[in-house]
Amino acid sequence: MHLAGHTKRDIILFSAPYLLVYLVFLAFPVVYGIYLSFFDWNILSGKAFVGLRNFVQAFSDEKFKSSFFHTLQFVGLSTPILIVTGFLMALISVRPTKLGKAAESIFFLPYMFSTTVVGTLWAWLLQKNFGLVNQLLQAIGLKGVGWLTDPNVAMLSIVWATLWWTAGFNMILFSAGMKQIPDEIYESARLDGAGKFVTLTRITIPLLKDTTLLVVILQIIASFKVFGQVYVMTGGGPYGTTRVLVQYVYETGFNYFKLGYASAMSMVLFVVILVISAVQLLASKDDVQ
Amino acid sequence: MKKILLNMVVAVLIALWLVPLLWLIITSLKMENDVVTDHLTLFSAAPTFKNYIKALTTTPIKQWLLNSFFVASVTTVLTLFLDSTMAFVLSRMRFRGRKALYLFVLAGMMAPFESMIIQLYLEFNAFKLLNTLAAVIIPRLALPVGVFILTQFFNGIPTALEEAAYIDGASRFKVFTSIILPLGKSAMFAVAILSFIGSWNDFLWPLIAISNSAKYTVTVGIANFQGTHGTEYALIMAGAVIASIPQILIFLFFRKNIVQGIAMTGIKG
Repeated sequence: MHLAGHTKRDIILFSAPYLLVYLVFLAFPVVYGIYLSFFDWNILSGKAFVGLRNFVQAFSDEKFKSSFFHTLQFVGLSTPILIVTGFLMALISVRPTKLGKAAESIFFLPYMFSTTVVGTLWAWLLQKNFGLVNQLLQAIGLKGVGWLTDPNVAMLSIVWATLWWTAGFNMILFSAGMKQIPDEIYESARLDGAGKFVTLTRITIPLLKDTTLLVVILQIIASFKVFGQVYVMTGGGPYGTTRVLVQYVYETGFNYFKLGYASAMSMVLFVVILVISAVQLLASKDDVQ
Repeated sequence: MKKILLNMVVAVLIALWLVPLLWLIITSLKMENDVVTDHLTLFSAAPTFKNYIKALTTTPIKQWLLNSFFVASVTTVLTLFLDSTMAFVLSRMRFRGRKALYLFVLAGMMAPFESMIIQLYLEFNAFKLLNTLAAVIIPRLALPVGVFILTQFFNGIPTALEEAAYIDGASRFKVFTSIILPLGKSAMFAVAILSFIGSWNDFLWPLIAISNSAKYTVTVGIANFQGTHGTEYALIMAGAVIASIPQILIFLFFRKNIVQGIAMTGIKG
């Protein structure tokens, strides 16, 4: 490929625009964030180097600890259910029938909506007095639930809305994996007299190991970043029981203007996601050539 | 018996996903008074488009839609330009450090927006770009996952055509625009959709970068609706439908490409 000449010049010309934007608006903010996390920087008081004090402070800050806990709670609740549901959806949608096709569309469409549309829709569906869910519960003689106002269920409501919103994404990944399993394997299993359940547990699930690992990791990362649904549906309430990490960083930075402290807390999120991504990268190393 | 049970699971799952969608539409077509009653009505006496008209005429939603269109379109075009030129270098040029450069770009996939909001705010404040649509656009442009998709795809394009073109004296620019880009169309399309939808649905950063409600994107605007229109549920749902029209259209026309795009990032990423 030396035929074209000017190789060095062309490498620079073609990669400079991307690299410039990448360095200034992606790489630099990462480094700058690490730097900021060592400073006490209030809009009012100015900047002062404090070493690791922000991090020490975070771990004795009840609000930080509870926000971190709520995020973990959301990750723990949402990940298994979103994966199992996505898998079930994939089983339904890979069937080459009209119903399978229609189901795929219905399951996937919510994923296209923005987090605020999903949040407002579910805030309405779960509204205490006039929302559809409570109206249906009352129609069959049950008592309505304070889906967004009861501290014991508010987080579950957010998980529910998120399930509806993004399970279809996991479905797509699972069904792409399922389509890669050669038909012959199923064929020979059938000839050996294997039933549907055996085929599922002995062939489909084991052969989807890589896909499943990927879905799990992507789901954990996505769940750690939860913010929009919470912001719209509960605002972090009731009594701060759904306040998540990103929201606390947002509030600390833009309501209380403690920029250094907020940076330090966002570094915690950054490191968590970095570690999880590193696991994924190691697991899929062979694919990057 | 087992079959009936299985079909019931399928039916329940589909219903659980379909009903919220239908309720969104149904609510938006009701009179406001019929929405807040304590008995369940499927439809008002007659479906009405009043809420849509009200949303379009008495709220800034039209302006927000325009802002979103501008932001998402510009983001998509610029992202395609940046990502494809970078992918061309990574896929077709041979030089020392190429692999390291590729890994450096891919590492960007691990940096979540959610952990960069403070720094980006300060950076855009220093550039005096806060409260402009440019601020919403710029941080999304260097889409590392786009470079990944395109590089992998370009790697799969045979080099014979290019070699013939180079022998005929074609420049790299010529080869890029008249061979690589046309052959990479489907991957470019996947990246375009990823970029457009991602930009349209972006929430956290526009929420921070824009403080003037006339410059909101529609995603931020809808979050604001609840605050300003509290219990006008029919109006809010009409607004939510209007805000989702582009995604619904893209979904209807390009469902296959979207699915393909996700599968491509997923399977290989």
